[in-house]
Amino acid sequence: MAETCTGSRASEIFTTLEYGPVPESHACALAWLDTQDRLLGHYVNGKWLKPEHRSSVPCQDPVTGEELASCLQAQSEDVAAAVEAARASLENWSTLPGAFRAQHLTRLAKMIQKHQRLLWTLESLVTGRAIREIRDRDVPLAQQLLQYHAIQAHAQEEALAGWEPMGVIGLVLPPTFSFLEMMWRICPALAVGCTVVVLVPPASPTPLLLAQLAGELGQFPGILNVISGPAFLGFVLSSQPGVQKVAFCGAVEGGLRLLIQESVWDETMRRLQARMGRLRGGRGLDGAVDMGARGTAARDRAQHYVSEAQSQGAQVFQAGTVPSESPFFLPTLISDLPPACPCTQAEVPWPLVVASPFRTAREALALANGTPRGGSASVWSERLGQALELAYGLRMGTVWINAHGLRDPAVPTGGCKESGSSWHGGMDGLYEYLRPSGTPARLPYLSENLNYDTFGLAVPSTLPAGPETGPSPAPPYGLFVGGRFQAPGARSSRPIWDSHGKLHGYVAEGGAKDIRGAVEAAHQAAPGWVGQSPGARAALLWALAAALQRRESTLASRLERHGVELKVAKAEVELSVRRLRAWGARVQAQGCTLQVAELRGPVLRLREPLGVLAVVCPDEWPLLAFVSLLAPALAHGNTVVLVPSGACPIPALEVCQDVASLLPAGLVNVVTGDRDHLTRCLALHQDVQALWYFGSAQGSQFVEWASAGNLKPVWVNRGCPRAWDQEAEGAGPELGLRAARTKALWLPMGD
Amino acid sequence: MSAHQRGTELDLSWISKVQVNQPAVLRRAEQIQARRPVKKEWQAAWLLKAVTFIDLTTLSGDDTSSNVQRLCYKAKYPIREDLLKALNMHGKGITTAAVCVYPARVCDAVRALKAAGCDIPVASVATGFPAGQTHLKTRLEEIRLAVEAGATEIDVVINRTLVLTGQWEGSDFIKTSTGKETVNATFPVAIVMLRAIRDFFWKTGNKIGFKPAGGIRSAKDSLAWLSLIKEELGDEWLKPELFRIGASTLLADIERQIYHHVTGRYAAYHDLSMS
Repeated sequence: MAETCTGSRASEIFTTLEYGPVPESHACALAWLDTQDRLLGHYVNGKWLKPEHRSSVPCQDPVTGEELASCLQAQSEDVAAAVEAARASLENWSTLPGAFRAQHLTRLAKMIQKHQRLLWTLESLVTGRAIREIRDRDVPLAQQLLQYHAIQAHAQEEALAGWEPMGVIGLVLPPTFSFLEMMWRICPALAVGCTVVVLVPPASPTPLLLAQLAGELGQFPGILNVISGPAFLGFVLSSQPGVQKVAFCGAVEGGLRLLIQESVWDETMRRLQARMGRLRGGRGLDGAVDMGARGTAARDRAQHYVSEAQSQGAQVFQAGTVPSESPFFLPTLISDLPPACPCTQAEVPWPLVVASPFRTAREALALANGTPRGGSASVWSERLGQALELAYGLRMGTVWINAHGLRDPAVPTGGCKESGSSWHGGMDGLYEYLRPSGTPARLPYLSENLNYDTFGLAVPSTLPAGPETGPSPAPPYGLFVGGRFQAPGARSSRPIWDSHGKLHGYVAEGGAKDIRGAVEAAHQAAPGWVGQSPGARAALLWALAAALQRRESTLASRLERHGVELKVAKAEVELSVRRLRAWGARVQAQGCTLQVAELRGPVLRLREPLGVLAVVCPDEWPLLAFVSLLAPALAHGNTVVLVPSGACPIPALEVCQDVASLLPAGLVNVVTGDRDHLTRCLALHQDVQALWYFGSAQGSQFVEWASAGNLKPVWVNRGCPRAWDQEAEGAGPELGLRAARTKALWLPMGD
Repeated sequence: MSAHQRGTELDLSWISKVQVNQPAVLRRAEQIQARRPVKKEWQAAWLLKAVTFIDLTTLSGDDTSSNVQRLCYKAKYPIREDLLKALNMHGKGITTAAVCVYPARVCDAVRALKAAGCDIPVASVATGFPAGQTHLKTRLEEIRLAVEAGATEIDVVINRTLVLTGQWEGSDFIKTSTGKETVNATFPVAIVMLRAIRDFFWKTGNKIGFKPAGGIRSAKDSLAWLSLIKEELGDEWLKPELFRIGASTLLADIERQIYHHVTGRYAAYHDLSMS
């Protein structure tokens, strides 16, 4: 009977030639959940932690809604316990020779290999993602990541001399993420000798499984700890003593935006639609589906976007096959979206694609760069010259040419603008978890008294400051903006006192409008400066160095008036000259080519300027610190807005006299005035691409808080002075790393 | 292959505009093989379908009328009757799409098929197969003789000297290769050819057939080829008029897989008849 049934089925399929279900057994995932009695806690210090009196949330199959397990929600004391475990194991782990850490990571890679089926079925079961995506891409990549970072750990003493591990790293993961996002971040951290506490959203069993696999290696149980709990525990995590850094990532993998040239619009849309028609959606555990489900929330977001777009008159094309049950959503192509429609600015949800036409490559570039996001993009063209032009012009962390979505542990992946400024993979990924040896550890202390609303808001009024001495009354220095000295918008000046308490001179009292003007001038100068070859940039820096040398006696005497001994002052000038020359020489050696397994063709690691870089210089070393910060910034192609030393801004303004005659207008802008006020203006300026701040602890805290507005990279000293005259702190590789961002440009080849 | 192409003016500018993104083609080829497995009843049905696309081929220097006769019998009865019965597919005329032999063996094949009382077409390779490096005059004569002997389909080897110098020819069907090369039917090459077929269809409305040949030996391979056609060209290409698989040992493996599907056991060598 059964046979006949099979038989008639076969003859029916023979005519229709349809695909059938290819269910992958998830028995091992369920068996693993059973070992925990379907109750998942946290994995801390090599043991399961299941504290009592905690609320729990169900972990559900996103397709069937079936409850797979319940997950305990962490509380503050659980976070503290995890951080304590990480802290306890840090001393041992971080002081091991790199070769030992390498061995341990290799063992973890082997462990994953042994239990890969459990890993991929569990991940697919709870996330709903297509199993072939996890099996064929994520799991092998997870192993490669461990292998790659094992090799980096092995070479650490040699390759990363002068750097030390930061310490305990906190990692906060978003509600929808692949376990790979965790691997990208924990592998470099563990490799360089940090220990990690990962906070995952409730009901994410895969990270717990990974932690268990690591724990079962026996040695070093506390290096990887995973706790699950609500996102606000991220604050608790970051304020734990010993936590040196908290990395976080946003929700991953949204929809896509496509820009298609008008001349090939019809043809491209036709091909796209034909291909979409063949996509198969379904339960992730089916081996023959292209797309799984992402749960009802993701579907509702997609539905909302589509309805919104439709109501604005956009064209909506849907194709492919998905089961009719609730959490699935058809692959959708939206076109003709009006430019003013809110959807155009909003992030496109999965699994949607929004296509818009463009006329010229220049227009495409403007459209692509005209969003706050800067993660990754791909360029498709048979004209290599044009493709490269676009790839270089895109403000993105990763650009693929005629390919999409390739990843490799050796290639740094990151972003710019609101897509963040941290890196995973490659050498760049390692530096995220290192600090120059000897740098003081971060204290989790945040001042509660700092009022973000009023910090630096008011400028104290300046009044005439007593008798002016000297042969002739010194004219007030202006603001150096757009290549010339200008009067400040407020039309007032501030007195500068020398070390004897006598009036040294007046400098301009800059304000919000002056900062605006300076940033504008810097933006105008940017394209010209970026376009200069490194050689030309070096030549200009060297010319500036020579001019400084000629100005030595003036500069030294200015410094002398501020209580610096003449010999020391001369040494400061001399060192400043050397800094300019050194960065001029280093700028030539930028970027490199990476070789990547499984890819024919190179990946270029480009170092690109950040854009307009604002620098608030420290009070100490008024000339040397100013030059030490200016030189790497210019060498890497940035244009700058600087606030010089508050106590002694005059040497910096003297340097500007040479800048005015040697460098293009707008490249360097120097604004004097109340430091807190100017810092506030710079930190709150959305069009400043990066901010370095050397001043008080309070100022540092404000800068970090305010810069979160556009996620610009910041570098603050938290009130700790730096030894600017020392090579490591005044001209070390840290400055070079901070002064540019990395872009990975993938160039697959083949005829 | 009864309906011949109406033909279009040869426009070489189409060919010069063709661009191939090789890394992307390689990735796509990998994906199709990994993403479209078919199992259980689906597998059995797909394998039977694959049988109907096979050009059951013998192209050996030592072919004689007896092994050609055996080949023709196998073409008529490709799968053991009781296995077909178990699948409820008996009596549905499942045969291979054609038999394919050298020109001199065409008369043997025609005779054998006639004796077996079936109308499976006989295909002949011709025109100086496999190199094609003979004179046009003898190549044309070869075709004429094969047709006279009863061949209804001719696999022509194009003059690759002309192709490599950019002088193309047209046809009803395109074949990946002769099957006698060191590298024969590969997925990446097939993807490029199928996209060309699709483009030609979109531009002119004419459907060109496709025949991979050489190296397709396992049942699993044949399933991958079917899903490749289904994904790239669609179901309308999955019929013997537009899709053939040139193979000699594939059929035996398909029969073995069907045996396993029906009985749950792996077949011994002597359980299934040879071709």
